[in-house]
Amino acid sequence: MTIVAGIDIGNSTSEVCLARFNGDKTVEFLASGIAKTTGIKGTVANLQGIIMALDVALSKAGLDISDLTEIRLNEATPVIGDIAMETITETIITESTMIGHNPATPGGVGLGVGVTCSLAELAAARSGEQIICVIPHGVDYEDAARMINSAIDEGVLVQGAIVNQDDAVLIVNRLCSNIPVVDEVTMIDKVPLGMLAAVEVAEAGQTIKTLSNPYGIATVFELSAEDTKLVVPVARALIGNRSAVVVRTPQGDVKARTIAAGVITVFGARGKADIDVDAGAAKIMELVERVQPVENVQGEAGTNVGGMLERVRQVMGELTGQSLNEMKIQDILSVDTFIPQKVRGGLAGEFALENAVALAAMVKTSRLPMQQIADQLEKRLNTRVIIAGVEANMAIQGALTTPGTAKPLAILDMGGGSTDAAIISRDERTFAIHLAGAGDMVTMLINSELGLNDVDLAEDIKKYALAKVESLYHIRLEDGTVRFYGQHLPPEVFARVVILKDGSMTPIPSEHPLERIRYVRREAKKRVFVTNALRALARVAPTGNIRHIDFVVLVGGSALDFEIPEMVTDALAEYGIVCGRGNIRGIEGPRNAVATGLVLSYHGAEAG
Amino acid sequence: MQINEQMIREIVVQVLQDIDIPQPVKAAAVDERPMTLVEKGEARPGTKADEVVIAVTPAFGKFQHKTIVNIPLSDVLREIIAGIEEQGLRARVVRVLRTSDVAFAAHDATKLSGSGIAIGILSRGTTVIHQKDLPPLSNLELFSQSPLIDLPTYRAIGSNAARYAKGESPTPVPTRNDQMARPKYQAKAAVLHIKETEHVVPGAKPVELEVRF
Repeated sequence: MTIVAGIDIGNSTSEVCLARFNGDKTVEFLASGIAKTTGIKGTVANLQGIIMALDVALSKAGLDISDLTEIRLNEATPVIGDIAMETITETIITESTMIGHNPATPGGVGLGVGVTCSLAELAAARSGEQIICVIPHGVDYEDAARMINSAIDEGVLVQGAIVNQDDAVLIVNRLCSNIPVVDEVTMIDKVPLGMLAAVEVAEAGQTIKTLSNPYGIATVFELSAEDTKLVVPVARALIGNRSAVVVRTPQGDVKARTIAAGVITVFGARGKADIDVDAGAAKIMELVERVQPVENVQGEAGTNVGGMLERVRQVMGELTGQSLNEMKIQDILSVDTFIPQKVRGGLAGEFALENAVALAAMVKTSRLPMQQIADQLEKRLNTRVIIAGVEANMAIQGALTTPGTAKPLAILDMGGGSTDAAIISRDERTFAIHLAGAGDMVTMLINSELGLNDVDLAEDIKKYALAKVESLYHIRLEDGTVRFYGQHLPPEVFARVVILKDGSMTPIPSEHPLERIRYVRREAKKRVFVTNALRALARVAPTGNIRHIDFVVLVGGSALDFEIPEMVTDALAEYGIVCGRGNIRGIEGPRNAVATGLVLSYHGAEAG
Repeated sequence: MQINEQMIREIVVQVLQDIDIPQPVKAAAVDERPMTLVEKGEARPGTKADEVVIAVTPAFGKFQHKTIVNIPLSDVLREIIAGIEEQGLRARVVRVLRTSDVAFAAHDATKLSGSGIAIGILSRGTTVIHQKDLPPLSNLELFSQSPLIDLPTYRAIGSNAARYAKGESPTPVPTRNDQMARPKYQAKAAVLHIKETEHVVPGAKPVELEVRF
């Protein structure tokens, strides 16, 4: 009778599978253990975590370390991933032509067109003149309303107003006629006076119609066809707003400028190719697929993307202690995203969503010092320690213990840093690949798209479901169901969107509605995991065609996610593939695949 | 480079300019608008979901007319009401007579508020935003350092209370903190509190107020 422990050192967890081999070569699984990986995967610092996980498993099985015949370690794949992001567009407003911010409470409804005139000079305006009143800081709403009312009595046609303070509703409530008023314009002294301007406010729940339409602006300002072309960026920037101001100045302009992001050069087995990062994620990925397998990726020196890839190399170099020129980027995943950025030249602190490209890069390092770990472990525990096999092959052996699977079988191992795929054919041949981009990239996308600046919070948003606290006694979950509480909830979560984390609630300190946070979360997961699942399977498929794979088992930490497996299953169903979360040995779920495979390979090794 | 006294002086001035020392609020810049509070009998629970009740304490606007840093209470009330109105909601003002504790006064008012949200305010300026399901000594937002609250903050308090009533998730109003405010104003606060408490009528029902500016 022999007792074997399979140990898998992963990026985030170390897992143990304990089994007994009886004389007749039947295997009996005893217990499994799990502990956080200590230190960086593949370094001697891992020993602590390994021993902890081993202890958990041994105590469950009622055994002692001295009972072990052999410990089998995986040969960890020496790939590490990193991520970076760079904006590629920038919006600049020159000469204050528009105020595109979205105050929470504009006043009045409608469209007003007139010449801008400060409140102080309103009394001097001639009767019959069309005026847009500009109200500076420090003017009380009652005074402002009184002055506008008296001007209207004098016959001045006040068509709208632009206000510095948050007073729009207060002013409109005190006016004798209903005019559109846009407020919270912080840099009001920069609004040009004596210029033709238009103010538009839509009903609550609606968006503006005239100023977000180039022909609408052309109608208001009587523009020529040539000039109309120039206002397209203005109109575009105002789409979706409830209120807007456009001032016509001789030189004013809004530019959506593209920042020269640089060129990526991909060196592949089938030659090299250049692509401009501005072309977008889809084009970059197309190129990567064309030249794959990728041997190295370089960015144009002195550009954003050049710096970005250099950073990845540097971080990886420091981590592994290898020199920079040995760092070869083996794969990149690029994803289109956007980052809220302050508009340059804006008058009201406007934000525009700028396009950005997120890149995940994967670096292959030389072999990790697994032998060193094995030696140390052997010395520490006085048991035979063997490096048993390549991670991917072991994972497949483990995945095959999922009920209902058969060869040929592909696995998708979705972790934090990389997405790995492996396939085993009917005649036991295996093939594995590693792709950049996984859980960490999703976290980065959530963090930047919601403008959180808090990676831990983004990580929690990724992992847990959301709810809105509607009263102190009930919450509405993101699927619309309601949960009631007998005790009142803590006041700091009142009226907030919260993350439901292990029975506790973490409020999200941002003004994004629940629907938006959920949308960003799901889109980020889809863009990374679904893209990578398809990419990975296409590469391992024997014919290069995904349809020729029958079974796909999802394993790894991200397969535990509450929605990623469903998204991947859904996407693969189109190709007629049976795909689902693994259930190792029928009890472990998607965890413990490699450890189980390691134990099973002992059987194979003995027999062979 | 030579370092002389002149230069050090300049550097000190510059550094001090950059340090944002919270200053107790100066007396209001806005000219005082007179306010009259007309008592309209016992306050009834409201049924409209678009109202926020403001609870003032026994001496507010009747025996005391300025906060601890001499901001006219008429301006304070006007700004809070404006903050609520800007959000498209209505303000209703009641006077709580049975207590001079801001938390209990506000909590009494939440029971009268159709939205369940109320703002409590003491004559010396201390303010709280409260919700009806909370225990009295809990709160949504508390502004305990009355010497540091200025008129824009009162406006923001009104605005935030209205947004809670709308079911939105406003960012809490930034509060300033000054550890010197306590030793500096403690005696005055105590005197003002005693003056306020003199006018407490134990067991009395809250009174509806009509505010005219």
